[in-house]
Amino acid sequence: MTMPTPASIETVGLTRRFQSGPKTITVLDQVSLTIPRGEFAAIMGPSGSGKSTLLALLAGLDRPSDGSVSIDGEAIEAMNEDRLALLRRRKIGFVFQSFHLLGNFTAVENVMLPLELLGLPSPRQRASELLARVGLGDRGHHYPTQLSGGEQQRVALARAFAPDPPVLLADEPTGNLDGVNGQIVIDLMLNLRRDHGTTLVLVTHDPTLAALADRTIRLRDGRLVDHDATATPTGASR
Amino acid sequence: MTIPQYFRMAMRESRRARGRIALFAGCIAVGVAAIVVVAGLSASVQEGVRSEGRKLMAADMIIEGKRPVPAEVDTVLVDFVAGDSRFTGQTVQRAEVKEFVSVVLSDDEKTSQLAQVKVVQGGYPFYGQLQLDPAGSLDLLLTADTTVVAPELMERMGLKIGDALRIGGSRFRVAGVVVAEPDKLAVTFALGPRVFLSPEGLNRTALLDRGARVDHKVLLKLPSGATSLDLTQLERAIEAKLPDAEYFRIRSFSEAQPALRRTFDRMGRYLGLVGLLSLLVGGVGVAQVARAWLASRMDDIAILRCIGATSREVVLLFLLQVVAMALAASLIGAALGTALHALVPTLFGDLLPPELIRPWQPAAIVRGVALGLAVALVFTLPLLVGLRRVPPVRVLRRDAEPVNAGLFGQLVAAILVLSGVWIAASLQAESWRFGTYFLGGIVASVLLLALAAMALSRLARLLPRDAGGVRLRHGLTHLARPGAATIGAIIALGLGVTFVFATHIVERHFGEQLKAELPTDAPSTFLIDVQPDQWDELATLLRSEGATGIESQPLVTARLAAIDGVPVDELTERRRSQPTADANQSGDRPRPNRGTLTREQRITYGPALPRGNRIITGQFPAGPEVPNGVSVEENFAGELGVQVGSTIGLDVQGVPVELKVTSLRTVDWRTFGINFFLFAEPGPLNDAPQQRVAVARIATPDLPRVQAKVVAAMPNVTVIHIRDVMDKVNTVLGNLSIATRALGLFTIAAGVIVLGGTIAATQAKRAKEVALLKTIGMTRRDVATVFAIEYALTGMVSAIVGVTAGATLGWAVISKLMELPWSLRIGELAIAGGTTVALAVVAGLAASARALTVRPVEVLRAE
Repeated sequence: MTMPTPASIETVGLTRRFQSGPKTITVLDQVSLTIPRGEFAAIMGPSGSGKSTLLALLAGLDRPSDGSVSIDGEAIEAMNEDRLALLRRRKIGFVFQSFHLLGNFTAVENVMLPLELLGLPSPRQRASELLARVGLGDRGHHYPTQLSGGEQQRVALARAFAPDPPVLLADEPTGNLDGVNGQIVIDLMLNLRRDHGTTLVLVTHDPTLAALADRTIRLRDGRLVDHDATATPTGASR
Repeated sequence: MTIPQYFRMAMRESRRARGRIALFAGCIAVGVAAIVVVAGLSASVQEGVRSEGRKLMAADMIIEGKRPVPAEVDTVLVDFVAGDSRFTGQTVQRAEVKEFVSVVLSDDEKTSQLAQVKVVQGGYPFYGQLQLDPAGSLDLLLTADTTVVAPELMERMGLKIGDALRIGGSRFRVAGVVVAEPDKLAVTFALGPRVFLSPEGLNRTALLDRGARVDHKVLLKLPSGATSLDLTQLERAIEAKLPDAEYFRIRSFSEAQPALRRTFDRMGRYLGLVGLLSLLVGGVGVAQVARAWLASRMDDIAILRCIGATSREVVLLFLLQVVAMALAASLIGAALGTALHALVPTLFGDLLPPELIRPWQPAAIVRGVALGLAVALVFTLPLLVGLRRVPPVRVLRRDAEPVNAGLFGQLVAAILVLSGVWIAASLQAESWRFGTYFLGGIVASVLLLALAAMALSRLARLLPRDAGGVRLRHGLTHLARPGAATIGAIIALGLGVTFVFATHIVERHFGEQLKAELPTDAPSTFLIDVQPDQWDELATLLRSEGATGIESQPLVTARLAAIDGVPVDELTERRRSQPTADANQSGDRPRPNRGTLTREQRITYGPALPRGNRIITGQFPAGPEVPNGVSVEENFAGELGVQVGSTIGLDVQGVPVELKVTSLRTVDWRTFGINFFLFAEPGPLNDAPQQRVAVARIATPDLPRVQAKVVAAMPNVTVIHIRDVMDKVNTVLGNLSIATRALGLFTIAAGVIVLGGTIAATQAKRAKEVALLKTIGMTRRDVATVFAIEYALTGMVSAIVGVTAGATLGWAVISKLMELPWSLRIGELAIAGGTTVALAVVAGLAASARALTVRPVEVLRAE
């Protein structure tokens, strides 16, 4: 396994507006930020502050109304849907609050999926190894409905890390989990990140989790209120 | 991704979707089965006739005509063998067959029966077997004064072997019964049971010299070792050497049973469209199933897109699954169709000889599978293409619904569906014109059905909901906001109902018309083969027996020699070289073919036109300044290409006669009067060889007695009851109607599956609804009743819409096209409506069985 080149994320004047009837709602307003390679950034803010929107824009899942996003120096707002898909395939891993595993696929098949998309060799074996790393080596043949919430999120983690993405985006990954399972998932995620040197952007409500981050990005009403970096610029946070 | 990866992924994707796959398969398989069984039967008859052709003709080759085959043909046969060392010591064997219609009289002259007399000479049959009782050869049973007859004749006349009967004025003893004849099929149209006579026997009758109309055939058997090439060469040689070759038809065994093959060819094309209709109804279902399926996959598709699958990969992934399902479904349908084909002899008895049933028809299977795949793709492609637009952000925001296809996309989808249907219909009908008609009909029906369904749904919104209590209200709320899927299901089932009901109505009217008592002023009986010198005696006899409405016309037979001075030979040559493209391909238009010009024309003459004839241009009679005038029936004039002022040259049994067209007229054929295409003024034909034909009105109970008396006095006269003829026609139509109905059921079946599928697709929603209703305190029975009422209401909309559309279509055909009296029965409306509602309830409840068994707590837990 080769070490991936860590990527930097940069946004300039990022704005997202929605049309709601005659009214225009600005969900994200002029957000400019830089996340250096290998950093762990936490996005915090109350509900409706634009956290998930920011994440979606960083991933190229949504398109900005204004401003730009670049991943590793590549401006993604100019890319078409398929180029964005290919970019995600190579560079971005995802973890969601509600896991989003494919219901018809077993655990191991879910993890294999990005490997197969990239055309990597022996995807099943690599997927099984990753499942073993998240402690689910013996559950590979189970379907998502046969797994607990914590187990599903661990499968999602394995899937996210499978192609060794330089960037991992996580949207409240512990939001649907109880404390114990949430802790297991967080520990796994941070360990994997450290081992892979991945840039991690995490949306969370949890201040203790945010405290582990290299920097915290605070949003209120779509605006950046605070953008501070903690002492440790790179690497592990514990 | 690589192809194997697509396959593996598609396999995973389709797991745990047995219900969906079963529905998808059902929708497609039913239509494919209908197409395969129709195409297969048609092909199997063609193939069967080809391979059994010798048996079905009892010969290698037949020369047939309305006159005796000239002796010159023998020279051709001798030359053919002489010119080839392979055939040394062998000959071309020949047998002669004469067939004609005559009335057979019982010995006591009290009962009589129209019969088809057949006289054979030589080695008939060369192939196949003539089964007789007592077993043996025909030569042994037939002498100058014996006959062998069909069992039906024995039954109808109360005869047994050894009894006597009278044919053409002479007495014959029944020496045996003919059980099976190789060259006669049960489906062919025959005016009466078979009677065999020996040539000597025929000579004892007064039939031939008194002008009975005889079909002459010469059957040939080639020497052993002859190939199909020899057959073609012999056919050409005979055509070249035979005098008046255009008056004879020469057929080799590969062209056996042309009428049967044509019938099946036409039926195949018509029923092929009926089959396609059921496939299209199924297509609506496929679109529904696919829509529900893809909707449930939206989240997964968004995940796939998040992970980095391109939109093209997503579309391909689902396309692959559609193709796989459609292929499997089509193959199941093809197997079903083949199995049904094999069951035809069991289901339809002696409609076809078993050797013509060959269920394994690869071409039919390929056609069915191809159409099944095409319909599945055409109906799902627009949805699949829409998958390109599933936004990956859906993973984060559920409200990010897939953008709908957009105006352009919808337009492309509509064009795709319409052209797909058009091409498929044209292929099935083997005619672009009928394909276009079919498409037009379908589009109009679907639009009407959709409008009607929406109107009824609007109406349901206006109804008071409290009157019927909670159960009815539930159904009404569903009806008031039906959603696209329900409207689609109503249309699908409605299309089936429309078609079946319209066919039923048309068939009922035809049947009634054929069974109805004839108009009181219409004749009941035709008398043909009357010699001119017999007419006065016959008329007197008829009058004395109480017959009324006696009318008679002379009948002159002649050949066309020239039209407007152009010889017929040249005209046939011209018409052969420039046939109209479409008509020639599809044969769906009456075209002025060689037959029209070369066949024997029947002409009459007289001072005035009979009733039911109406002059549209010109005059009849035209007056003394235009001698030799003739009035031509309008359509026939079109076929010949003549108008007022044209000349028609005739060859009246060797004597040239030229007539001038002085008027065109229309004929009301329904009066059953004596009508002719060509009606000449008195003069030029007065001295031509002729017979008379007559009609008379004879009370039904008197018919057998009068027929017996007429035949006893004038054995050559053939008496035909119009009633009998119409009964025959009715039987033939009955066979067609069985086939149409059987296939119509496929369209209904497809519609029911679509409705069931639509309901099954809402299983999850229904399960929640069931849980809620049960939580409120409804028993399972209560909930089932609530659902049954909902399905009954949906079925009722289909029934109202379908029955109305069907009745309208039937009315258009009967009243406008056929100009027959129109009627609608409460009973048939009730049965059609009731059956549709019942089917909807059964299908609906079956489709929601799983939702009905859900325990409330499970659903709430899943929330």
